[in-house]
Amino acid sequence: MTAAAAPPTASLLEVTDLRVQFRSRRRTVHAVNGVSFAIDEGETVGLVGETGCGKSATVRAIIGLLKSPGRVTAGSVRLEGTDLVGLHPRQLRQIRGASIGFVPQNPFGALNPVLRIERQFRNVIRAHGRGRRAEIRSTALDMLDAVGIADPERVLRGYAHELSGGMAQRVVIALAMVLNPRLVVADEPTTGLDLTIQRQILDLIRDLAETEGRSMLLVTHDVGVVAQYCSRVLVMYAGQVVEAGPVRRVLTEPAHPYTEALLAAVPRRGERLVGAQGTVPTLLELPPGCFYYDRCQYRSDPRCATEAPSLREVGPGHWAAVHYDKGAGST
Amino acid sequence: MSRARLVLARALPQRATEPSEGGRAGRALRALGKGALTHKGLTIGFVVILLILLAGFFAPLPHDPIQPNPESTLQSPDGEFWFGTDRFGFDVFSRVFASARLDLPIALAGTLLSIAVGIPLGLAASNKSRWSERIMRGLDMFQSFPLLVLAFAIVALTGNTLQNIIFAIALVNVPRFIRLVRSEALVLRESRFIEAATAIGASRTRVMLRHVMPNTMGIVLAQASLAAAHAIIVIAGLSFLGIGITPPDASWGVMIRVGSQNIATGQWWVSFFPGAMVFVTIVAFNMVADGVTRLIGRAED
Amino acid sequence: MRYRTGAIAKRLLFIPVAVFIVITLAFGLVNLTPGDPALVIAGDLASDEHVAEIRAELGTDKPLPQRYAAYVRELFTERSLGTSFFTKRPIWDEITQRFPDTLELVVLGLLGAVLYGSLLGTLSSYFRRRWPDTLSRTSVTITQSIPDFFMGLLLIYVIFYIIGWAPAPVGRIGLLDRPPDRVTGAVILDTLIARDWGLLKTAFHHAMLPVVTLALFYSSHFAKTSRAVLSRALNSDQVEFARACGLSELRVVGYAFREARTPVVTYIGILFAALFGGAAIVETVFAWGGLGQWAIDAMLKLDVPAIQGFILVVGLLTLLVYLLLDLIVVALDPRVSYE
Ligand SMILES: Nc1ncnc2c1ncn2[C@@H]1O[C@H](COP(=O)(O)OP(=O)(O)OP(=O)(O)O)[C@@H](O)[C@H]1O
Ligand code: SF4
Ligand SMILES: [Mg+2]
Repeated sequence: MTAAAAPPTASLLEVTDLRVQFRSRRRTVHAVNGVSFAIDEGETVGLVGETGCGKSATVRAIIGLLKSPGRVTAGSVRLEGTDLVGLHPRQLRQIRGASIGFVPQNPFGALNPVLRIERQFRNVIRAHGRGRRAEIRSTALDMLDAVGIADPERVLRGYAHELSGGMAQRVVIALAMVLNPRLVVADEPTTGLDLTIQRQILDLIRDLAETEGRSMLLVTHDVGVVAQYCSRVLVMYAGQVVEAGPVRRVLTEPAHPYTEALLAAVPRRGERLVGAQGTVPTLLELPPGCFYYDRCQYRSDPRCATEAPSLREVGPGHWAAVHYDKGAGST
Repeated sequence: MSRARLVLARALPQRATEPSEGGRAGRALRALGKGALTHKGLTIGFVVILLILLAGFFAPLPHDPIQPNPESTLQSPDGEFWFGTDRFGFDVFSRVFASARLDLPIALAGTLLSIAVGIPLGLAASNKSRWSERIMRGLDMFQSFPLLVLAFAIVALTGNTLQNIIFAIALVNVPRFIRLVRSEALVLRESRFIEAATAIGASRTRVMLRHVMPNTMGIVLAQASLAAAHAIIVIAGLSFLGIGITPPDASWGVMIRVGSQNIATGQWWVSFFPGAMVFVTIVAFNMVADGVTRLIGRAED
Repeated sequence: MRYRTGAIAKRLLFIPVAVFIVITLAFGLVNLTPGDPALVIAGDLASDEHVAEIRAELGTDKPLPQRYAAYVRELFTERSLGTSFFTKRPIWDEITQRFPDTLELVVLGLLGAVLYGSLLGTLSSYFRRRWPDTLSRTSVTITQSIPDFFMGLLLIYVIFYIIGWAPAPVGRIGLLDRPPDRVTGAVILDTLIARDWGLLKTAFHHAMLPVVTLALFYSSHFAKTSRAVLSRALNSDQVEFARACGLSELRVVGYAFREARTPVVTYIGILFAALFGGAAIVETVFAWGGLGQWAIDAMLKLDVPAIQGFILVVGLLTLLVYLLLDLIVVALDPRVSYE
């Protein structure tokens, strides 16, 4: 598990050998186990994997908001060269919102229910500098307009509970992007929304990213979403990236048996993604060999049970952590 | 009234119930007993209460608790009078323990009475009907009233007999049991095994008595412990004000009242020891409540 | 909005019913409870004629419906709560004279309880499972297990007798001080109005111990509520998003606090109402001379009309507080709307 996945060029975000544990008195959950990847300027990267595989934990570790008792135990998260792991909380706070925007899953949970939307904009903007009320107001209006809200004036005056689900998520996106962050991290931003609205929101996020040349990390269960909105994809399993590469290649020629199973089991939109057979290891005790061993149909290689496979390049920009090579038989 | 309480109820954490399948009171209590031994706080609290109660009735006391000794008034604690004496010459040590004979049984009786009234009313109020709505409305009104003062007034007006004090305590505590049993029953009714019992044709009363009630026992027990702690405060308050138990009968409240006249001149022991005893008793009841809550998996943490 | 005004109107319509219930309760308390107050007042050795006289004076010699009608009639036509059995003064005057003192004590005590309790709850939830949490929970366990009157006595012993920081626990000002001109009837307010700074200091000094007593005892309610609500709020998506937007920790706690606002205000209202009688014991300990102490005196002397009047006034006051509380809760939280 080294930084093998990181391309040599300097990227906007470089995650190297990230490890996250939830440690309580009784047990330790190894939620993220050595994740490495990079995101370039202007690139949209998808992160897929079945439920509980550590997607959210990875995302929270990047923005430094792991919920207790979660902790980053190793690795680094470099944003434009600065390591965010172990950064002073005050500096980290400056980066959140300004350099990294975060779009969460549930917009109603995210918005403050008792503050007017305008006030929430003011708080976010003032958290990163000064600003006069009128200026902030016009910035907020522009932003709301940009996320496609028809009557920004009224929304600004109102409260969260007066919005529909799609509107609320637009407002959340506006708040996350109002300071023009270079990187936007979205953790399943459309779960719980109507199908048509899901599409609108994803289109919106993509447009906002494209026009400003922003980078995106898009967490999703939906391989279809990845195919349509991302340029590269990371496939996670049991806290590890098992395959990474250009979307088209990974989806058409998956190199990892897990990815293959994932594609075979493509769920209908909005459904939780569950692998074809068997379940994810508990993440309480990590097996010595490949984490996918129990469920793998190709586990012929003797190393599968004993030696953890590391990411290796199986094609141009295409990496997979597997001992078995479908193209050439066992390596 | 209902609005305020509703908001409060919403603000406090909701708990989900996992009813034990076809549980019975006996089995539930036995499980509690077994768990109690493994739960430190619960054991300590229970043992402390038991000790205070037993000491009240059976411990050999160094002096007669209701016979003052006029020669030795307001003596500070020493080898003869371990907790000192009050201004009438009562031995504080003997009286502190003798008080348990009145205070604890009254508190427990009052609590039992409020449970006995609260459970059936709570179960009845869990039927979805116009009447249950009305009961709850009335309860809202009643509970919004300063019940402590009402209890004081009732005892004052009806006379300070033991029955009246017990009745007043039951009155103060009964709303919490009605509320608790009702909300538990409402949750339980939705659960699958109750549905199953209804489906195989058990009568409504039978379902209530055999299935719903036993499953509320744990949480009722926890609440009862809190109610008993509150009852101790109410009795002490009544007696402290001179409305409840009166001298020469021994009661912690009475003793604190007697000592309150001397505390500003430095004779702290007359009030302190009975007060400390009240404190210990309340903490013990709270520990039991805490332990039971944890044991039945309802603790918040 | 329309729903809310509708519901509030409904609530207002309910008020007469509630008032009626409170009146009946006050009446029933004296007339339906077992036992004959006249016998208790007269004492064991009284002659039959004397008892009959007392009955006549209390009105308990007449049949129940007639008494009830008379009680209600007197209330509404003469706006009278009757006169004290012992002092013969109108109950209404007795109550209004003492009300401001109790109000002052309750307001200050609650203020202290809210501040101290919320501080504890905030520390607890922010530093969950760390030492500030342990410390604050220990404080709650202790203060909620010491009856308020005993706490008052402990404070008197330690702070008055040993350290000497507080004045003797008798009354609102020194025995030799001349009270301020009565404007509002509330001593602290009146000294403020009279600009008598020396006396104001004395008044605060005298208020210190009873206020601290109430504050400590009732702080546990606020500590527990705010801990529960804040802990949940600090773990909520809302706070996560606020942090993800780079808001400062102070702001974030402020966001969480707004969640706790409604239950805390609700508790303030409930305790405020309850304390008009509930502070009676503390008033007695410190010879505060307010409504509560007067009511306890009335209970000890079995001044039946006074007890009745007190229960009625406290009941109506509670109704009023709860109505205000509902309005405030609605005003505070845009989400609360009546269905
Ligand atoms: N607070 C916590 N305490 C203990 N374990 C946790 C905690 N939060 C998450 N985990 C564990 O960490 C692992 C990763 O969880 P994570 O939320 O990152 O999964 P996910 O991929 O985002 O799943 P989903 O698709 O359901 O959102 C899971 O096994 C989960 O059980
Ligand atoms: S390393 Fe072996 S067990 Fe793991 S996925 Fe590849 S083939 Fe299967
Ligand atoms: Mg997730």
